[in-house]
Amino acid sequence: MNTIAIILVIGLTLFTIGLSIFSRRFTRTTADFYLAGRKVGSFANASAISGDYLSAASFLGVAGAVYASGLDGVWYAAGFAGGFMVVVLFIASALRRFGEYTVADFAFGRFGSSRIRLITVVAVLLTSLFYMAPQMFGAGTTWQVLVGTGFFGMSPYTSGVVVVAAIIAFYVAVGGMKGTTMNQIFQFWWLAFAMIMVVVFAFGNGFSYPKALADASAEPIVNTKAFTVAELTTPDAAGLTPYERAAEVMSAEELAAVDEFIASDAEGKIPVAFYAGNKLHDLRDMLFREPGHRYNTFDQFSMVLALVLGTAGLPHILNRYYTNPSGKAARRSTFWVLVFIGTFYILAPIAGLAGIGFIRDFVAGGGELNAATVNGLLVKPDQLMPTIAEILGGQWLMGIVAAGAFAAMFSTVGGLLIAAASALGHDVYEKYINKNASEAKRVAFGKASVLVFATLALAIGLAIPYFGLDQAYPALIAMMVTWAFSVGASAFVPMLLTGIWWKGTTERGATAGMLVGLVGAITIIFLNILQQLGTLGHEGILGFVGSLTYPVLFTFPLGLLTIIVVSKLDGQLPKNVDEIWMRIHGTASERHEKQHGLDKVGSMFAKK
Amino acid sequence: MGDMNGKDAVRTMNSTSIRHGEHVDTIESVDVVFRAQRKLSFTYGAVFFAVTLAIPALSVWWKSWYAVPIWGGFTANYLFVSLLYYIFLWTMAWTYSKQADKLDEQLMHMAADITAANTGEEA
Repeated sequence: MNTIAIILVIGLTLFTIGLSIFSRRFTRTTADFYLAGRKVGSFANASAISGDYLSAASFLGVAGAVYASGLDGVWYAAGFAGGFMVVVLFIASALRRFGEYTVADFAFGRFGSSRIRLITVVAVLLTSLFYMAPQMFGAGTTWQVLVGTGFFGMSPYTSGVVVVAAIIAFYVAVGGMKGTTMNQIFQFWWLAFAMIMVVVFAFGNGFSYPKALADASAEPIVNTKAFTVAELTTPDAAGLTPYERAAEVMSAEELAAVDEFIASDAEGKIPVAFYAGNKLHDLRDMLFREPGHRYNTFDQFSMVLALVLGTAGLPHILNRYYTNPSGKAARRSTFWVLVFIGTFYILAPIAGLAGIGFIRDFVAGGGELNAATVNGLLVKPDQLMPTIAEILGGQWLMGIVAAGAFAAMFSTVGGLLIAAASALGHDVYEKYINKNASEAKRVAFGKASVLVFATLALAIGLAIPYFGLDQAYPALIAMMVTWAFSVGASAFVPMLLTGIWWKGTTERGATAGMLVGLVGAITIIFLNILQQLGTLGHEGILGFVGSLTYPVLFTFPLGLLTIIVVSKLDGQLPKNVDEIWMRIHGTASERHEKQHGLDKVGSMFAKK
Repeated sequence: MGDMNGKDAVRTMNSTSIRHGEHVDTIESVDVVFRAQRKLSFTYGAVFFAVTLAIPALSVWWKSWYAVPIWGGFTANYLFVSLLYYIFLWTMAWTYSKQADKLDEQLMHMAADITAANTGEEA
């Protein structure tokens, strides 16, 4: 039991709960609950956006993806950061100027129909669920490494998922956006501290970036994967069985354990190691410093587009822009976000690369880890961060990192719960179910929505290992987050871009484009999952579509094209299109705010 | 409509103008603002996407980019994606932000002048 590490995590958790209770006295209205009263300044908002954005995928997933895939994993970091350029260039100022609560409000205000508002709500909820899945998976896997045991008869994984879902539901329901904002600010700086500490300890233990990269690239990348006896002995298309491939890599001692597993015809799976192939340049060895471990030519472009466009389609991030006091502050916030997360993303791949040498040497020296290894490599790369922290700095550093991992999950799931609560509470309840509801009733409905979504997050977290997804993909956390990016990029971004920059966009066009993007992206993702699980073959059109890891290269242009074509055919602009245009691009409001000092940041903690 | 900070209490609008307190936007002034903002955003956007999509393109088609070490184990590809790309992003975001602020200032004055000319009142 990692007692010191567990105490640090409990301390962080109690602190976040305390912050939520403290902020409760400042959450009186729906504007407070959903938007922190629109009084969040650039630096604070940038810290909160960074905390919101840096999820388990960034803290655990990026380092894990680099550890498993080399350069293709580094792309997660670069793409996650690059996405904010699209936000600042095309969306941030206009969204803030339009002055609504949520993305669904924008859709309704811009196109004037309840139909598009409700479709946007559905898209927000689906994107949020896609984004919650990897956070809950991260909670379970971190708990496995940190605590190693479960409680009340539950497995360690299940215990982690249950604890994280319960804590977040509590503090979001109690603290609302102000509490969540304060927590996100604190959690971002804790995350940054934890990442810096791991990298400092790595350099302090003799790590050299260029040399480690050369060493890691001296041999082809080695994959780890668990197989059943039948899978181990079935030849692939090249005529080699996974066992024969493992024999090229694994030591005689480790291979003897695999022999014994096969001879016993045991149930379950055993992890083996084997050289990875190069999906991009199939005649080259798959070296750590080269592209091709995860992506073929199509996916190289599709993944980049998914990441840079997806950020602009994340409802919990877009909602944050409404908390800025002015368009200028929105741009300034985004610049600081890029500085904060850029620094973080420069460090995360260093941690991933450092893990290769340090974990291999530690295991070779007879060290024992909570995380399973084969051939000196982690079977689950997403467990890299807490594992390398334990090796480099013992329980203290592991505690700091584990607390950072939980902080990443708390802050992101907190933001997602607020976005989901906004979609259900503000966009549905206040607009359609009970238009005359009192402030107290509205806030109560928002809190109930938080609890419903926390329960859904819990169910998704438990479903991932049940369906074997954790065995189907290497570095699953980063992969699942990119799916959420793909759904957001396909559903929202074409509608937002055309809604802001093309006056000729009609309601029918925007609705059709959103539906095409949303349904197309989700369909392709599920086909890919079915193919990875072995349910869907590789033949025919379905087989081809299922082989696309990320759908954005198809679904984003398809959504955009649908909007343009249907809008042209339809031609029915909203009657008040000029008024709408003036709200999006006009400056009278900002001139007025500037004149009266309303563009200045007030206090989040001012009592009404 | 957003009415969270009281500013909209003074807002009135019709099909050709929006008034916030003493300040008025007309569709003519907004079109000028829109075109200038579009030019700035789409120019920066073109540079951003050209550089960002050039990286996977070079990864597919230019061996010297993705396979030749230039510093220890670093290839040009690895060095750019792991470090230099962030410097590119920071530079883009900073210069865009500054130019957009400057443009906002210019456009606010321009919009006020156009509105005053069109409505015959002090904007």
